[in-house]
Amino acid sequence: MSTQPRTDENTEPAWLLVTRREVVSRITDKSFLLGTAFMVVLIAGFIGFSAWQGERTERVTLAATPDAVAMAGAIADSAPEVDDKVEVTVLETDDEAAAETALREDEADAWLHPTDDGWQLTSESSEQDALTAVARAVVRQQVLADNAASAGTSVEALETGSTVTTDFLRGDAERAGVAEAVGFVFVFLFYFAALVFGMQLASSVIEEKQSRIVEIIAAAIPLRHLLAGKVLGNTALAMIQLLVYLAVGLVGLSFTPYKSFVPALSGPTAWFIGFFLAGFVALACLWAVAGSLASRTEDLQATSTPLTMLMLVMFFGGVSLDGRAQVVASFVPPVSAVVMPKRILAGGVEWWEPLLALGLLAVFAAITVWIGERLYRRALLQTGGRVSLRQAWGAAE
Amino acid sequence: MLEIRELTRRFGENTAVDHVSFEVPAGQMTGFVGGNGAGKTTTMRMVMGVLGIDEGEVLWQGRPITRLDRRTFGYMPEERGLYPKQPILDQLVYIAQLKGLERVAARTQVSELLERFGLGERTRDHLEKLSLGNQQRVQIIASVLPRPAALVLDEPFSGLDPLAVDSMVDLLREYTSDGIPVLFSSHQLDLVERLCDRLVVLAHGRRVAAGTVTELRDAGVPRFRLVLGGDAGWVRDQSGLEVLDLDGGTALVEVRQEGAEQRLVAEATSRGDVHEFVRVRPALSEIYREATA
Repeated sequence: MSTQPRTDENTEPAWLLVTRREVVSRITDKSFLLGTAFMVVLIAGFIGFSAWQGERTERVTLAATPDAVAMAGAIADSAPEVDDKVEVTVLETDDEAAAETALREDEADAWLHPTDDGWQLTSESSEQDALTAVARAVVRQQVLADNAASAGTSVEALETGSTVTTDFLRGDAERAGVAEAVGFVFVFLFYFAALVFGMQLASSVIEEKQSRIVEIIAAAIPLRHLLAGKVLGNTALAMIQLLVYLAVGLVGLSFTPYKSFVPALSGPTAWFIGFFLAGFVALACLWAVAGSLASRTEDLQATSTPLTMLMLVMFFGGVSLDGRAQVVASFVPPVSAVVMPKRILAGGVEWWEPLLALGLLAVFAAITVWIGERLYRRALLQTGGRVSLRQAWGAAE
Repeated sequence: MLEIRELTRRFGENTAVDHVSFEVPAGQMTGFVGGNGAGKTTTMRMVMGVLGIDEGEVLWQGRPITRLDRRTFGYMPEERGLYPKQPILDQLVYIAQLKGLERVAARTQVSELLERFGLGERTRDHLEKLSLGNQQRVQIIASVLPRPAALVLDEPFSGLDPLAVDSMVDLLREYTSDGIPVLFSSHQLDLVERLCDRLVVLAHGRRVAAGTVTELRDAGVPRFRLVLGGDAGWVRDQSGLEVLDLDGGTALVEVRQEGAEQRLVAEATSRGDVHEFVRVRPALSEIYREATA
């Protein structure tokens, strides 16, 4: 055995060593890689599917007996005006029996026929939503015109003054829709990452505590370096994963008809990354505390319950709050981490509002880091059963 | 030299370690014995700075010990376990780096130790894939990283298979011959007697005995065994002695008055053949039982 010179000055700081171990051991873990790959495929697949759904033109064949051919023709002609993704072809049949046969043999998707007080669309078993909508509109228009004519007036005359148009003070309807959808994605990504990486962080703390390797580590480096390394490592992993998901999402979106929204989304996305970072660090320390309070993996369920509750509050708050409540919540940490990015997406936020919210979140993160460090340090080396928060706070070192 | 002075630790009402003092001289193996709950683990955790000290101090080379000193110590906690899902080379290098070794040096040292313990082929294996015996070898390596300035080992032999015990003993001897102080606790008194230069006995948080093995064995009232050619009944009439056992020509006596044993030998030779006259020292287990009773 050779004696190695000790080069304390040249070695890396302890927290960096811990950070690297956290990242490397996780990033080389097959289940982590598979999980990430699965999510990427899921996101890309979802975007692809929505785009295809949005683009697809539905071709339907409408069977009609001679007494209904005129109306069916009107529907086919007017379909593109009502819904440009529906294309209707008319199949003329001799009688009702032939129409039914055509339906059963899939030669037609629906059969239009008159009834005593109107018209009926018959299809085999599945509802023809798009066709039904088009048929309703066209039939209504036709019948209305006929009725108006027989009453000696016109549809236009009847409809005068009855239109309701829509207008949005903030942005337009489509933008609001996209903002709502992307906002949900933001909230979900935060919730998902905070829960998955939080649990991972807590269980790696227990792993060290349970195996007592923490005693070897505690004898070598200050515990605050261990905590810092674990929090930074998991934050880095969560950020890497988040950036991959966001990149896949934005790139995917640019191949869809919604590509015009991508530039408008990049600003809010950048804000979201900032809020995610501060929010995640704030929660990561608390997760580490949850881990340190437990003595065995089985205890984690109990020690992490307050945190999982907080996650749920953030999730539902992020998804459902609106109006004044949303404005207030967008400044209250840690809920602000998901609510403010959503408000930024919706537009109409003053320039100072995100900055203030982010500042408050950062202050909150600093406080949880400080409290978390004290609790973690004191609870970590206590063995034998669960440690209560009070015990951990008051314990001698 | 590692010095423990008046070390005290309380947990609420209970004083787990009560003003315990002893020394671990350089190049010597000091055994730390005592029953469950005697305070051995608490003492060792205080020495390693894992647990706070209520009273007293730990000195290293004559001055109060610092974190950087402890970083150079090898330490094996009572309960074992490393990272089950990490390759053994990687985690040992990680521990060596935490202890201040530079990456390349850490790799070299860990590889040498793995080679020495017959694990040179398994460096990429996850710890959980190894047999229990091999996991223990990895644990031993972890406790002697980096080439330590002192060793503090809590029950290092518990659960080891005989081969691992031998490797561990060889390794410890190597360290002590290099002048490194070694403190280890154990329940196995035979092993302690075989290995240790010195012994510290703890009972209910207090030090009840300390010294070299010979000192401890000589510490009690001297006892002698006398084996004669003829009957030894007359020994009962000798002054200054207490006869503990008498059986034909064999007598076991305890000396109550200084010089009484010399008068006994003179008397015996004048009466006839003396086959044996020998000092009887108590076994370590007897001393231990007496001290902790």
